[in-house]
Amino acid sequence: MSTTLERPALAASGKSAVAKDKGTLTRSQVRTGWALLTPALLHSGIFIVIPVVAVLVLSLTDYSFGDTWSWVGFGNYSDLFGDVDFQAALWHTVLYALIVIPISMALSLAVAIGLNQKIRGIGFFRTAFYIPTVTATVAVATIWLWIYNPGSGLANGFLSLFGFAPNRWLADPNTALGSLMVVGIWQGLGTKIIIYLAALQGVSRDLLESADIDGASRWQKFRNVTLPALGPVQFFVLITSIVGTFQVFDLVYVMTRGGPGSETRVLVLDIYQNAFQDLKLGYASAETVIMMIVIAVFIGVGRLLQRADTND
Amino acid sequence: MTSATLPAVASASTKPSAVRPGRILLYVVLIIGALLMITPFLWMVLTAFKSELEILKFSWLPGELRWSNFSEAMQTAPFLRYFRNSALIAIGETAFTLLICTTAGYALAKMPLKGGKWLLGYFIVLLLVPFQIILVPLFMIVKSIPLFGGNNILGQGGIGWLNSWWGLIIPLGAAPFFTFLARQFFVSLPDELAQAARVDGLGEFGIFWRIMTPLIKPALITIAVFQIEAAWNGFLWPLMITTSDEMRPLQLGLAIFSQNPAEIQWPYLMAGTALATLPMIILFVFAQKRFVEGMANVGIKG
Repeated sequence: MSTTLERPALAASGKSAVAKDKGTLTRSQVRTGWALLTPALLHSGIFIVIPVVAVLVLSLTDYSFGDTWSWVGFGNYSDLFGDVDFQAALWHTVLYALIVIPISMALSLAVAIGLNQKIRGIGFFRTAFYIPTVTATVAVATIWLWIYNPGSGLANGFLSLFGFAPNRWLADPNTALGSLMVVGIWQGLGTKIIIYLAALQGVSRDLLESADIDGASRWQKFRNVTLPALGPVQFFVLITSIVGTFQVFDLVYVMTRGGPGSETRVLVLDIYQNAFQDLKLGYASAETVIMMIVIAVFIGVGRLLQRADTND
Repeated sequence: MTSATLPAVASASTKPSAVRPGRILLYVVLIIGALLMITPFLWMVLTAFKSELEILKFSWLPGELRWSNFSEAMQTAPFLRYFRNSALIAIGETAFTLLICTTAGYALAKMPLKGGKWLLGYFIVLLLVPFQIILVPLFMIVKSIPLFGGNNILGQGGIGWLNSWWGLIIPLGAAPFFTFLARQFFVSLPDELAQAARVDGLGEFGIFWRIMTPLIKPALITIAVFQIEAAWNGFLWPLMITTSDEMRPLQLGLAIFSQNPAEIQWPYLMAGTALATLPMIILFVFAQKRFVEGMANVGIKG
């Protein structure tokens, strides 16, 4: 009887000592934790959170660096709907995203699957596919500007080998945007390939082997084992691709400046020109808000499509 | 059990030995793909050696290797200064990022903070905010940093951090992406190490600085490599906030150089582009593992 009474008492006192110790320990941990975290919180607050909020507020004003400004309500937004430059920019950006994202995701997944087949020279292939990604977009754009040169560029030189007539590429309204898309796809493959490759290596070998035993074909294995296992990674790649394609700027700025005419005008270029050439900061902010909304819609739709795909 | 393992073994042993047409096709396709990736760079290097006359017509190889193109390109624009500026920005941003993001990453991963989950969520949400969205207000904030560039204490009257190293380095450093990356690496360290150090009487900050941080050295290199690349390749922000050649980085210099298509001297421009590209390609070749690891960590565990 006495022993059974003693034991819980001992245990309890021991616990409280530990708890007390843990208490002071936790307190000093919490203090250190906040001290370590505060600089990052301050930095992100000043340079990200405040700007995001400010964009919403600015979009309701006619601010333009001057001393006086006034609230204009949704005036900027209604002006945007009548702005042909903005309409062209929005349309081209959406088109760019709709074409570049699926093609580059499919191509990079295909290459990643190829590289995942225990091939020789994996280091070489990985480097080759990733080099465009580590190269500055300005440098990439400069190189392709020369490739697309109508007079003596590589693109026409290559076509002439097969007897095709030279093309004016960036100067031709029909091919300008397409030529930019090619560069966008070309440069963006590397990151996606590496992410897919890492994910493919995590696909369960057991599942693949048991599918083998069940006599599944290569396509069935891909469709029913590999693809579902890639689900979360697909979503990550999709989001980063959407955000990335909507940001397209350097490429357009160096290669076409939005021309010929407005054929390659994209959103960020339009925002940049409105804000820093015409100094219409309120107007440019409203444009930014619309870009945010379109990105959110894209992410939402992408998510729905992927859900539907994994459920069937 | 045995009946289940036997076919698997059999199929595994037959696969690699036979050279199948599918395998050859795979190599052919991959090699063509790799060539498509590399050819533009090859074309850039070949053009850099050509003369003004040679580039009037399409050709692959230069008649002779004109190394002088490189030194002459350096003289047509202040490329050396651009190089120095890019290097300064890259070093500054990387140092700032390492300091801010490893501390924050550690706190998120190992410290029992109230609402720690929410804090982590906060950084993940910020990670998704594209820079282009905050462009306009960020410019205004940087312009009105108090007591800099002729500003008063309320941040008015001057240019703040515009056209300054502060403005080029601080706002774009310490991106939430790197805080998240650092956190991912710290999370995988066992808590017992910290416990043992605590028993030895080391303070919490000492544990972070002397025990845990040295253990994630590979992660620090990964973060540094990514940040160097991002800083070196930056364009839009320097374009917005610099007004003189004094502080312009390389990418901006290249873009200015190629602004007037009618007057571009392609061999010089390609020589300049090759020099601008080379450091990052070398960095990637040497730090390939770090890049791959970093991407995998964010993409998979994220």
